[in-house]
Amino acid sequence: MNLLKKIFFIDFIKGLSLTFKYNVSRTITMRYPDEEKWLPYQRFRGLHTLNRDSQGRELCVACELCAKVCPTQCITVIPMEDVGTDLKSVPRGISDRIAKVYEINLVRCLFCGFCEDACPTTAIRMGRDYELACFTLDCAIADKKKLLTPRDIPAEFEGGFVVKAKFIRNDEGIKVKPDLSKKKRWW
Amino acid sequence: MGNEFVGDKPRRYITQNSELITIFIMATVKINGKEITVEDGTLILDAARQAGFEIPTFCYQARLSRLGSCRMCLVEIAGQKKLQPSCVTPVLHGMEIFTQNETVKTARASMLEFLLANHPLDCPTCDKGGECELQDLTFKYGPRQSPFAERKRRFHEKDEILSPVIVKNHNRCIHCERCVRICDEAVGAKALGGIGRGAMLKETSFLNKELDCDHCGNCIEVCPVGSFMSLPYRYKSRPWDLVETDTVCPFCATGCQLTIGTRNGSVLRVRSKIETGINKETLCARGRFGYDFIQSEKRLTKPMAKKNGRLTECSWEEAISQAKNKLSSAKKIAGIASARLTNEELYLFQKLMRNVFRTNNIDSGSRWTDKRTTDALINACNLSEGGTSIFEALKADLIFIIGSSISDENPITDYLIRTTAADKRKNLILAYPRRIKLDSSATISLKHTPGSEDIVISGILNALQNQAVKTDGSQVSESDIATIAQRMKTASTISIFLGTDSLRFANGKEMLLGIANLAKALKASGKNIKVMPLLDRCNQRGAWDMGVHPSFLPGYKKTNSDGMDCTGILEASSKGEMDAIYIIGEDIVSMYPDAKFAKEALSKAGFIIVQDMFLTETAKMADIVLPGASYAEKEGTWTNQEGRLQRLRRALQPIKAAREDLSILSSIGGFEYKSARDVFEEIRKEAPGYQDISFDSLNNTGVLVKGHGAEKQGSRGQGVKGSSETKINPSNPRTLEPSNPYLDDYPFLLITGNHLFHSGRLSQKADVLKRLLPESFVEISDKDAAALGIKEGDRVIVKGKHHEAVLRVRVKQGSLKGTAFIPENFEDVPVNCFFKKGEGIPRVKISKQ
Amino acid sequence: MLSNKTIENIKKTIAKYPKKRSASMDALMIAQQECGYLTEEALREIASILDISTVQLNEIAAFYTMYNKKPVGKYHVQVCTNVSCSLLGAEHIVEVLSKKLGTKKGETTPDNKFTLSEVECLGSCGTAPMMQINDDYYENLTDAKIEEILKGLK
Repeated sequence: MNLLKKIFFIDFIKGLSLTFKYNVSRTITMRYPDEEKWLPYQRFRGLHTLNRDSQGRELCVACELCAKVCPTQCITVIPMEDVGTDLKSVPRGISDRIAKVYEINLVRCLFCGFCEDACPTTAIRMGRDYELACFTLDCAIADKKKLLTPRDIPAEFEGGFVVKAKFIRNDEGIKVKPDLSKKKRWW
Repeated sequence: MGNEFVGDKPRRYITQNSELITIFIMATVKINGKEITVEDGTLILDAARQAGFEIPTFCYQARLSRLGSCRMCLVEIAGQKKLQPSCVTPVLHGMEIFTQNETVKTARASMLEFLLANHPLDCPTCDKGGECELQDLTFKYGPRQSPFAERKRRFHEKDEILSPVIVKNHNRCIHCERCVRICDEAVGAKALGGIGRGAMLKETSFLNKELDCDHCGNCIEVCPVGSFMSLPYRYKSRPWDLVETDTVCPFCATGCQLTIGTRNGSVLRVRSKIETGINKETLCARGRFGYDFIQSEKRLTKPMAKKNGRLTECSWEEAISQAKNKLSSAKKIAGIASARLTNEELYLFQKLMRNVFRTNNIDSGSRWTDKRTTDALINACNLSEGGTSIFEALKADLIFIIGSSISDENPITDYLIRTTAADKRKNLILAYPRRIKLDSSATISLKHTPGSEDIVISGILNALQNQAVKTDGSQVSESDIATIAQRMKTASTISIFLGTDSLRFANGKEMLLGIANLAKALKASGKNIKVMPLLDRCNQRGAWDMGVHPSFLPGYKKTNSDGMDCTGILEASSKGEMDAIYIIGEDIVSMYPDAKFAKEALSKAGFIIVQDMFLTETAKMADIVLPGASYAEKEGTWTNQEGRLQRLRRALQPIKAAREDLSILSSIGGFEYKSARDVFEEIRKEAPGYQDISFDSLNNTGVLVKGHGAEKQGSRGQGVKGSSETKINPSNPRTLEPSNPYLDDYPFLLITGNHLFHSGRLSQKADVLKRLLPESFVEISDKDAAALGIKEGDRVIVKGKHHEAVLRVRVKQGSLKGTAFIPENFEDVPVNCFFKKGEGIPRVKISKQ
Repeated sequence: MLSNKTIENIKKTIAKYPKKRSASMDALMIAQQECGYLTEEALREIASILDISTVQLNEIAAFYTMYNKKPVGKYHVQVCTNVSCSLLGAEHIVEVLSKKLGTKKGETTPDNKFTLSEVECLGSCGTAPMMQINDDYYENLTDAKIEEILKGLK
């Protein structure tokens, strides 16, 4: 038996077949950041987002519970009263109490997601952006405007795969913009 | 034994031979197995708290009437089938009470469940969230779930704004009625009521309309939930963000404790802590809402010096060195300091003037004209003999208040008196020409002609000595005087509260001497007499204690030679004799009762240094202006009208380049004091009454100052040696008597004073208070209004001999005919322009515009 | 403004009581008889006569359903919805009335003829369900009876 194996290079062929199999299988090297990007699962805890309801009103009522629960105290909220200029003006938030200042110090944040748990209105959610590097420390503080900007990856979008992406580099930093329509399984 | 009921607990009875006996009836009860002996009639709640058991409550509030509506305090009493509310059930001897067993716990949880059935869970947007009693108790005792699926009661979507400072959310109300009771019983405004019935009850104003009340915000303070909220503090912060500093109110001399909440260096609110200070949980509008002057944009932030006739900003070094040079080179110099400075600053001020610049020409305040009258007040109230607790004074059987519009000048003293006067066995006698809020609680309210206080006092004195009473010129009936004298005779303890109005009138001195004699006469008949001053500036008493007075050193020690008082200083200045005047925090031009004279006098002064927070009328005339600090920006102590020493604590750093007054004084005088504590150590040595007080141990209650052991002051010549020597002749020809008010040239007597929302000119810088009362007014009685055909809100011309103003009218029912009142607080209506030095109470004419 | 006669009547009633404020309920009733309902001015005026604060008077007026806070129609239909009446179908009676009159409870018909309101116990539990129209009681109500009563009023 052993002799036969040796004569017909069985082990050698077995080994090579593995090599050939991988040679023809899909590549697992992700060409990140140039062409592809890993889209994290929904449970991923990346850069926070402040959400709006279906009518476009801010969900945040500036209750400061996120700031209270934050273990690193990286969230600053200063509330204010949203006094509509006239009766017809659309209220900015779901309540007349809205955030005047909403800032997250990303350098201090440890992305634990407690803020998300504490939020009574699901206004703050941990998003799926993870490219947080930049050239100056300015970007270390995410202000209300930045947090309210809709993200590339919508919350309801399921993740866990690789998509085509475009690498953008400008003065603000680097960003890899995903093309959500072109999804690829990576295994 | 007779059964005449004379006092409160402990029960006192007068026996037939007029002996007073005190009976304590004690009861021993068992609470959760622990035996405790308490006075009979104690509430179970109080007994349990004494024994160390906690009982949660909502509707219970100490010193208010008992309601027993929230049912949180239910306890089990052995032998009684149903649970009993402990806040309304008194203990009985031998009672066995359980406050922590399963039945009670279940009851509490169910009560909370019922309350939460209608209470919206909008805690995230509620200003009370984080310091809410309902929240706290639910977490502690409550059920964590609710089976109620019904819709919650909902009155409105948007919160209702009830006043410029009060905003109301009816949805959150739990019907504890603390707001209604405090408004009614303590504040006396009676502006809130429970409107509706059952679950749809709204605790709100008349027809839910805008409130026309004292705007004191005590309803906000006592509300256990977020139903009453402060509008200036609305959605500004969460309670846990605030850094809270306990300090003392800077307005009147009641000396209320308040807590300043700051966040990131800005003052967001002022509140009163429950059961803290003499004010307990109450404050008035100016204390609670008059905090925004601290960070007003009008604050002086840089020193200024006059260059080419204009004030221009300069550096501190330049300003200080110039001030120093001018003060030390001046031959004749004087200083006037505000009675709002701390004891330490005032002490240092007099030390600077006396030891460095060698002058006794110092005075505190400029709103009173005559030093002799002030001395008479100091003397009548025995200020040099140390402090008297107001609570002791209020235990008296008879309280007599004269010369103060107490409800406006000292609102919290008014609250305290109102709560004690609810005891109908107590006599409250009030003498003031205008109708004020406390009149409704008074047993007798005298409406006398302004300036005729001396006639009233001498009348009482005569009546007490069974002599003929003459009240000509005071418009007070002789029978009233006789009744008062009769009541004084039967009372065993009497407290006399003396206002500062007497200091404004020319014949105030006679009245104050009369008071001293009255006190003496009553004391001689074996009664316990307390004379308390009612002062208008937070540290007026401290200023006198510290010797900011032309003739006393700290601790009321006599000076070698008398200096000049404010009037003296101004007179000298008008003759061009004053080389330099150093003024701290006092707006002489606006407060001195003769604006024209004060302005002229100051314009002739050689050099004026003004140290203030704002560019006041006086500061505009200065050669150097030094920006000082507000009460929230400094450490120190204040002595209130009772003589209670209280501690100020720093909540903020002085605004921009402004400095603490203490450090400015130190740099001018070249003193080396590091802090207020150092100066206080020196005060302890100089003023004997302060000797035993340690600066660091001053807590929220404060410490009553002890007697200074100095000889009596102000008794030169006409002193108080016996009633016979200073007998006032009431038949003196009086010029005060108003003749026919509608024919005379100037039929009205003009009285001035602080309005409830203001104190001096300081509170004018607080925008919230300005919103409560945007413009000045003239108040006349309903009879005068009817005779002149004027309605509330009409514009009238108030014309005096020296000044004229157009004002809105307020009509007050029950005020004395022929008197008009204009608050002295408004910058645009400088009421001191009506005054002329030496003319006494000004007379005015009021006519329709 | 209250008429002099009304003010006189109020002052007369005050004399019946040991304290002025005890006359509050009578005074409100007298004022209502004049104006049909309690206006703001009336409340203010009565409060000043009785020497109590306006809100205290407001408390009394708001507690009792017999005081009208709004103008009422010619016929004020007041249906008791307390326990006894409720158990015997007062809610149904209100529904029937509301349909017949074409108005919701607490409101007045456009022609100012009928006002329908729910009130607290009128003390006629033995004859429940019942209602009061102006000052008359109508007891043991049924659908047919209501129809008859309303016909009589139109």
